[in-house]
Amino acid sequence: MNHRNRLELRKFVAPEFVCGQGALDLAGRYAHNLGMRHLLLVTDPVVRAVGWAEAVGESLTEAGVSFTIYDSVSPNPRAGEVMAGAEVYWSEGCNGIVAVGGGSPMDCAKGIGIVSVSGRDILSFEGVDQVPLPPPPLICVPTTAGTSADISQFAIIKDEEGRRKVAIISKALVPDVSLLDPEPLTTMPRDLTVDTGIDALTHAIEAYVSNASSPITDLHALESIRLTSKAMPAVLENPDDLNLRFSTLLASLHAGLAFSNASVGAVHAMAHALGGVYDLAHGRCNALLLEYVIEANYEAASIRYDRIGAILGQGQDEWMSPAGVVAAFRRSLGISGTLSTLGVTRDMIPALAERAYVDPCLATNPRDLSREEIEEIYERAL
Amino acid sequence: MSGHSDPRLAREALREKIIGLGETSLHKSYYPELQSRLAELERFRALLDQTYDAIFLIQAKGGRVVDFNATAQRYLGYSREELLSRSFEDLVCPEQRSDFLDYARRKHRSPAESGETYRVSLLTRDGRDIPMEVAFRSVTFGDDRYIVAIARDITERIRIERDLRIKESAFESSINGILIADLERAVTYANPSFAEMFGYSGPEALRGMNLDRFFVDPSVAEEIVRDLLQNRPVILEVEGLRRDESSFHIEVSGSAVQNETGQPFCIMLIVMDITERIRLDNLKRESYAQLGKNIEQFAVIGDHIRNPLQVIVGCAEMIDDPLAEKILEQAGLIDRFIAELDRGWVESANVRNFLRKHGEEAELPERRPIQPDN
Repeated sequence: MNHRNRLELRKFVAPEFVCGQGALDLAGRYAHNLGMRHLLLVTDPVVRAVGWAEAVGESLTEAGVSFTIYDSVSPNPRAGEVMAGAEVYWSEGCNGIVAVGGGSPMDCAKGIGIVSVSGRDILSFEGVDQVPLPPPPLICVPTTAGTSADISQFAIIKDEEGRRKVAIISKALVPDVSLLDPEPLTTMPRDLTVDTGIDALTHAIEAYVSNASSPITDLHALESIRLTSKAMPAVLENPDDLNLRFSTLLASLHAGLAFSNASVGAVHAMAHALGGVYDLAHGRCNALLLEYVIEANYEAASIRYDRIGAILGQGQDEWMSPAGVVAAFRRSLGISGTLSTLGVTRDMIPALAERAYVDPCLATNPRDLSREEIEEIYERAL
Repeated sequence: MSGHSDPRLAREALREKIIGLGETSLHKSYYPELQSRLAELERFRALLDQTYDAIFLIQAKGGRVVDFNATAQRYLGYSREELLSRSFEDLVCPEQRSDFLDYARRKHRSPAESGETYRVSLLTRDGRDIPMEVAFRSVTFGDDRYIVAIARDITERIRIERDLRIKESAFESSINGILIADLERAVTYANPSFAEMFGYSGPEALRGMNLDRFFVDPSVAEEIVRDLLQNRPVILEVEGLRRDESSFHIEVSGSAVQNETGQPFCIMLIVMDITERIRLDNLKRESYAQLGKNIEQFAVIGDHIRNPLQVIVGCAEMIDDPLAEKILEQAGLIDRFIAELDRGWVESANVRNFLRKHGEEAELPERRPIQPDN
């Protein structure tokens, strides 16, 4: 592993968050206190169908805050959906946003916020620190435990035309308030629980080995891995157990606090490329790439990877490599197969590697990876 | 990663920014924007405070004044707290309050048309009334409706309007004809007397007509305008031309009206019908001439009397009769009467001058006294 100077400058940014049963009911109070009079409630059709958007809406109504629902959000939110949401924001005279759902509605809400104050195309904000004006107040009510978009300074938007995922990274994207209520997690199907859980684990692992990690992010990353290792298998057995759901929510929160400040690495850079080209579930891509990236990075952060392996692999063969432990863990959650089974073809690997190579997430990977090395990882994951 | 040709340096710069240590890496804060907006508001407020108009923001429900500019305070003299504790209705002078409330109720039902204003006097803190012309507009901030009242002090305008009305009235009621024309000699105003004098139905019929039309000799109009534009005084007697083509005597005086930079932009003529004066002058002239002739004849008769009287005196002196003395005495008496008449009428320099002036220079004969022969 590269030797790190403990005295190197680091920052830590976190939003206000409220966690616990009933946090969702505080949406109205927070919206009112943030000066929202009429807000845009960004969600997706599934979350709306199971009633969580409605529950948040009731809280808003009780607090005297009116709202317009915008649910034209698909998994991997599109730039066009962001721009259409901004049009609704303007036309309805909104002055704040509440996002209810997983990573897609929350990222879309962040995008709408950026566009609403500038009027520019969302894709023009690609990169780091490209958001000059603070977006309107944003309250997030996550209904999944994994993306941590409710905590992070990231928004990932799909450029449909370019068939790529665009990372917008700015402290201005950190939401004002996150209301972490375990109850909405109970309506997640098993696959979504697994994919988002693995997403949280990937966030924690990549933040822990990131070349931008700090003692503070390390605390959160390790606690997240510990919580995930215990709660994830259990919650699949008892999906209605609020305590277990809450553990996964805390795991996601810790992972979010860690990666939002230490950033992530090659797994996310490569998953973004896959998501852009194939429109695949982000968590599933992470799950199928993670062990191969660990193998490629291992020498650059062996002690940290070993520690991760030790936490995740408790009770397993102590000689198993961290990559092997991670692979075993994801298989234990029922994630099998390879990138091929998701439809990825070999001929696309150079193009995927090219996209991953320019992804900003690669800047904090513990090891500098060349295009060829990235191609090799894709090959192995195929 | 732009700005660095070396990919490693570019990636390092990107990493610095992701860590949050980039120069423009700022936590979400509305404060800079708030400061910018506040500065913008302060600039706008300064603009509003410098306007000639008093501006009030009034709550539509209840009519309470919730904001105003510095001009409003300057006009009315209230402190900020005093103004904020009043309704706009309180600022209206008591005599007009009822009318104002009627207007406000009417406009509440059907909002004011663009450009519509309402005249009302506002009450200053020291009890004076300031006549104002107020434009009311409805605005909505959030869920609340407000009225913006923009009030302009029209004290000076009312004074000017009054002065104008007086002048207008003077023009309209003047027995002299008054006519205003532009520099192209097109009539822009004529008073009723002018129209009547020239045989037109009313002043409106003359608007746009050329000045030349009112003179028997049309070149007179051009000369008048030229003289006026050269700052030469114009007072002249000419022949005017009525609508029915008949002529009459007029006296025309005029002046050029100048703008604020001293440039003439119109001319004004005052026209008097002097037909009657001319007739009287002619009559007087004839009378004085007749009087002169009569006096002259009287002087001649005096001389005619003196000649036979001289003979009578001569004869009386030659006869030796007690009556001769009496005859001479009576002849002397007649001569003194004639001499006295000469002194009183003919030898008076004032009378002669007067007659000379008004009697076509009638010359009177030299007088000679009757002398008894020695």
